Amino acid sequence: MDFRNLPPVREQIMKCVRCGKCRSVCPVFAEIRTEVAAPRGHVFMVQMLRDGKISPSNEVYERLSNCLMCETCSINCPSGIDIHELNAAARSYIYENNPHLGKELVFDTLWTKPSLLKAAAKLMWGAQKTGLQAFARRTGLTRLLPGDLKKAEGILSKVPSRSARSILRTKNSPRGEKKLKVGYFLGCGTDLLNPQVALATVEVLTYNGCEVIIPPEAKCCGLPHIANGKLETARLLAVHNIKIFNAYDFDYVVTDCASCSSALSSKNLEFLLGGLKIEEEAKSFAARVMDLNKFLLEVIDIKISEKAKTKKTKVTYHDPCHLANAQGIKKEPRELLNRIPGVQLIEMAEANRCCGGSGTYALTHYDLAMKILDKKMDSIMETGAQKVATACPSCMMQISYGMKRHHLAGEVVHPVELVSQALSSQPARK
Amino acid sequence: MDRKKVGEELLKRLGREKVLTDELDLMYYSYDSSFLTKLKPVPPLAVVLPKSTEDVQTVMRFAYENGINVIPRGAGTGETGGCVAINDGIVLDLSTFDEIVEIDVSNMQVIVRPGIVHAQLNKELAKYNLFFPPDPGSSQMCTVGGMVANNASGLRAVKYGCTEQYVLGLEVVLPNGDIITTGGLKSKAIKNVSGLNLTKLMVGSEGILGVITKIRLRCWPKPKARGIAMAVFDNLDDAPATVLEVYQAGIMPSGIEILDSSAIEAVNQFKPEIGLPAAEAILLFEVDGNPPSVEYEGNTIKEIASRRARLVEWATDPKRMAELWEGRSVTAAAAARVRKDGSRIFAGEDISVPLSKVADTLRAIRKLGDKYGIKVVNYGHIGDGNVHSAPVINPENPEEVEKVQKLVHEIHLLAIEMGGTTTGEHGVGVVRREYAQLEHGLAHKYMQEIKKVFDPKGIMNPGKLI
Ligand SMILES: Cc1cc2nc3c(=O)[nH]c(=O)nc-3n(C[C@H](O)[C@H](O)[C@H](O)COP(=O)(O)OP(=O)(O)OC[C@H]3O[C@@H](n4cnc5c(N)ncnc54)[C@H](O)[C@@H]3O)c2cc1C
Ligand code: SF4
Ligand code: SF4
Repeated sequence: MDFRNLPPVREQIMKCVRCGKCRSVCPVFAEIRTEVAAPRGHVFMVQMLRDGKISPSNEVYERLSNCLMCETCSINCPSGIDIHELNAAARSYIYENNPHLGKELVFDTLWTKPSLLKAAAKLMWGAQKTGLQAFARRTGLTRLLPGDLKKAEGILSKVPSRSARSILRTKNSPRGEKKLKVGYFLGCGTDLLNPQVALATVEVLTYNGCEVIIPPEAKCCGLPHIANGKLETARLLAVHNIKIFNAYDFDYVVTDCASCSSALSSKNLEFLLGGLKIEEEAKSFAARVMDLNKFLLEVIDIKISEKAKTKKTKVTYHDPCHLANAQGIKKEPRELLNRIPGVQLIEMAEANRCCGGSGTYALTHYDLAMKILDKKMDSIMETGAQKVATACPSCMMQISYGMKRHHLAGEVVHPVELVSQALSSQPARK
Repeated sequence: MDRKKVGEELLKRLGREKVLTDELDLMYYSYDSSFLTKLKPVPPLAVVLPKSTEDVQTVMRFAYENGINVIPRGAGTGETGGCVAINDGIVLDLSTFDEIVEIDVSNMQVIVRPGIVHAQLNKELAKYNLFFPPDPGSSQMCTVGGMVANNASGLRAVKYGCTEQYVLGLEVVLPNGDIITTGGLKSKAIKNVSGLNLTKLMVGSEGILGVITKIRLRCWPKPKARGIAMAVFDNLDDAPATVLEVYQAGIMPSGIEILDSSAIEAVNQFKPEIGLPAAEAILLFEVDGNPPSVEYEGNTIKEIASRRARLVEWATDPKRMAELWEGRSVTAAAAARVRKDGSRIFAGEDISVPLSKVADTLRAIRKLGDKYGIKVVNYGHIGDGNVHSAPVINPENPEEVEKVQKLVHEIHLLAIEMGGTTTGEHGVGVVRREYAQLEHGLAHKYMQEIKKVFDPKGIMNPGKLI
């Protein structure tokens, strides 16, 4: 689709009054502090691109890609501009004019084929035994991957030897009477980096009467592609996933990953597919997609026995941008945590401030990502919490790294892991 | 000197960390919040990010020697093109020169560098139960340096006045590199009538006399209580009439704001949860002070407003107050929402007229809007006659742009005709300079003479204000 015809490019650019509200809330601007990093600066540059006043060069890409895609600016823009969408659209436009072999390999080939991605993760697992750096050098990967991998080596959390998909069955029957048929959108991050979250998700859902199906043909949600200038690939992935999931006639499509649920939301699918033939199918699909926290709270209305033998734990919750900003889901994960006996929820300052993880961002913008992370870690440390709960694999990875970086003992978990533990420690299971 | 050479010289003197010379980077400094620079952005020759008074001095000396223009810039939220290098030059981005040098609680003063953001300053002052009262709608974005340079004020100017009332002294780097301190070299006095009042001259000088590098501000104790009264009117004339009666009852609210029907519509579209009732005009009164006086004043306002208003709400519940006031504070840009394919523009947006002429002015603006077929969203600080008119157009449609420029010109002339001024708080910059002679007559000539004393070479933010 032509860049200039994308709805935000067509309709929103002219609405920017350069008021600077976005600048005052942007976590990246807070670090870089020149107008070059201001969200309104991005809007301006997209306008210059649209009008042909500048050429779609790598230099422009570099500036636009300082943005984390955290959407903080967009939700604060009084003119209702989806600044992050403009940025993504421009990245894609520039990318089309400046193909990059490394990115083709990573985002078109690797990250569209679950089996290949899994193989890569396996390689990574092997690599971590010897040291990623040496591995990357040997295979020439450093030349292909963007950013300073050397510095970022520590961020990639331990890649488990087995993915969730290799452990879980496609079809998981409900405990007791079947109440709902749920499609589980098992995202790449959860699958490959946090399989324990996937196991907990399936456990909690089946425990609560859901038949859980993990369509084996499902592919990546496309968010990494949107962020990396690969809109067309993201579109193909979206269309593929919509067709796969719609064929099952699910009551709900649930995911534990904030990024996946935001990528599959009606808002994002409209951005990707608005005006295309698939639009109606996309709407019917998106209407069924729900974040796991919200689902457990609002659809299942989950109850955990007060007698569950859980330990008293101080937990603080970090809002993933893709839940809080992209979908407005803030109270649900907290309410869910509050339903777990023994959990004492302590709010951190600026819980909805980005942690700087943002998918591949910390790998490509290491120094910046660390400055943003350190602010988050300060907020976390002030709470004295033993566990940090959050609902996004990228945030989990980034904050886990923050724990290491600051020599903290705390554990980073998904709320569903705590729910699952609590359910299994109830006196009498159904 | 060409762009490349200017960049090289600055890099030599200040280093890579403090200078931007890349052509792309410079483009980001080609706009502020004005309609003018939205239509015609102009990049500077270079951008310098000073971290000290000496850095500023270095730039000024270099510029003075070589006859290069220098344009101070805060956060670029000004609506007049004031911080943009419309005639070429070096932009000094002062937003990262932002330390709070001292909070002097015992003297109720604070000394800051120009780049500190207004809301951040007040967040720090709140720890000492103090505040810097002027409160522009751009509080979270704009710098205190920009506020001083523009003599900004805000919703609470009715009671607390403008920035100028709080500036006790300044450090200013002059075009030739001299550094002066106004308000007394060592003085921390609150009252000071010694010497010519250069502080007052600098406040509101829009960066055409020098670069403000340090600011000594008076702070006030934070009021303990607040309340908001909202009055809904079916007849526009009833709004100013009510304001007058409130004053006559001996009440000085901290803010009195008006939204007309178009502004109400814009706010509701943007944040439906605020739920403003549809009407010809809504007045928002804010009172602050000690709890019993707030209660008394709120009830009196309620009683007075009820004589004319269809509905009056008086709230002291923090949540409701925040909602009512939020409606007002988001109006400016929410005006962008009333037309799907349009946007509010910042032009003709800041006239100020006598209170007795507010209703006539609002009606006249509506008529002008009809004449040009342009929707105009009206709101503002009715307590001091400052009307913010936001024309809503498609800024990418040349025909509409041409029409709106004529409309804006007529709004400015209307303000002068009504016995007011073209700008109550946003300033003149480039966009209202053409009215200087009309507004000031012979005094305008003396303004230009004063400028020459400070800036004989005419390098300090030329083409602005006078
Ligand atoms: C949404 C919105 C709401 C607003 N509401 C209000 C309001 O309620 N009241 C109000 O008064 N204004 C308002 N403004 C206008 C604007 O925010 C103010 O004028 C503000 O004070 C400008 O500050 P800034 O840091 O952005 O300055 P800039 O826009 O960067 O600069 C403004 C002028 O000051 C000069 N300048 C900046 N720093 C210095 C310095 N250190 N030394 C010398 N000169 C300097 C510049 O050269 C320029 O002429 C609003 C703007 C927006 C976008
Ligand atoms: S908040 Fe919105 S309107 Fe204001 S400058 Fe940013 S993008 Fe433009
Ligand atoms: S999406 Fe986040 S990082 Fe990107 S410009 Fe907006 S606020 Fe800044």
